Amino acid sequence: MTEASITIENLEDEKSNSLTKIIHISGQLDESNIDEKIQPIYKLLEENQKGLNIIFNLENLEYMNSKSIGYLTDIYGKITENKGQTIICNAKPNITDILQVVGLTQLIKTVNSLEEAKKKLNPTNKPTEPTTQEKEPQEEPTEPPQQAQEAPTEAPQQAQEPQEEPTEPPQQAQEAPTPEQPEQKQEQKNPEVKKETPQEIQDPQPQQAQQPPKEPKTQQEPKQNPEQPTQENSNETYKL
Amino acid sequence: METNSSSQTKELNTPEETKITITLPINAYFISGIRDFTLNIIKNTTKFSEQWAYRFQSVVDELCNNAIEYGSAPGKEIKITFIHSKEKYVEIIVEDTGTGKNKITASQLQKLFEERTEPGYLFTGIRGRGLIKIVKEWTDEIKFEESKQGGIKINVKKYLKEEKEKEEVNTNKINLQQESSQVVLN
Repeated sequence: MTEASITIENLEDEKSNSLTKIIHISGQLDESNIDEKIQPIYKLLEENQKGLNIIFNLENLEYMNSKSIGYLTDIYGKITENKGQTIICNAKPNITDILQVVGLTQLIKTVNSLEEAKKKLNPTNKPTEPTTQEKEPQEEPTEPPQQAQEAPTEAPQQAQEPQEEPTEPPQQAQEAPTPEQPEQKQEQKNPEVKKETPQEIQDPQPQQAQQPPKEPKTQQEPKQNPEQPTQENSNETYKL
Repeated sequence: METNSSSQTKELNTPEETKITITLPINAYFISGIRDFTLNIIKNTTKFSEQWAYRFQSVVDELCNNAIEYGSAPGKEIKITFIHSKEKYVEIIVEDTGTGKNKITASQLQKLFEERTEPGYLFTGIRGRGLIKIVKEWTDEIKFEESKQGGIKINVKKYLKEEKEKEEVNTNKINLQQESSQVVLN
């Protein structure tokens, strides 16, 4: 099994009653270990449902595959549904690149340091600024229109301002459907799109957690420009 | 592992081309070694940037995972082939035996791929992003073919020249922006 570890740390915030956990992920998350390693996080979600904030510290994460991205997206959906916030910090350049290409940086805030992540958390648990990256890359001036074009009705709102509507739970719910809803909604909107195919066999998730992610909520992931990953959120730059 | 230089296999290789084929047992635990191999071979033997070496790492990982999970029964093997021309492209071919539980043909996979790459497709599961989000975005060509063993052969290709041109365009954009900001300041 590829080496990886996930440790959970409590973040004490004397200023508010919000519950925040820092999840440190290190090593490599791939097909050989992700199903097992992710379980403590789902257990955490089960034990702390309302208002839980999570900071993912990816400082020592060297690799993550698409399945771990799927889990991350699902976890984000559950946390958002319970009025919490999700932040990613300290991701290495290659990890940021992966997060960008799948569009996760459009959903989850990504910052450069743990301190920055802590500051981002609103003590009243109200959603804050849109989940945009800290520094807009200068080399990507044409991205937003492209993303808007490629993302249908709900996506622009999801991509740009997923957390700017704290007073509109129905819309948030619409943007982050519950596990039971996606099929209904998707079937209504795209009845021809096949969701259950030979390639879409769900993993038999271990039953240790209360709610295995059979049909997790996911935000639509707008297309990112894979050719130009931002480097502002990383501590290193790629050699060109 | 087989390494063919141009002197040994003239029919397949050109003088500027190197081909490496790896046969791997069906076991996800071995894939980390393939990722490391991919990273190193791209970084050390091609002119792709370090960023692209990491991207190919993901591409190979995702293709191999699919071949193992969907295309192969326990005890079988998958085949990974790296072909690169230093100044031109990198090509990666992953082949399975078609012995997975839910057999799918290359044309079916092609159709599935096209469905999911349509704008507006919603990814609602844990899985399904590897081929569409990662492999598609980080390669220039993808081909789905039937393999001789009865499985599927996925062939992806990334051209170096296009990447260099894009990098130059981006560099020029940055330079222009910097110049314009300097003009504004002055």
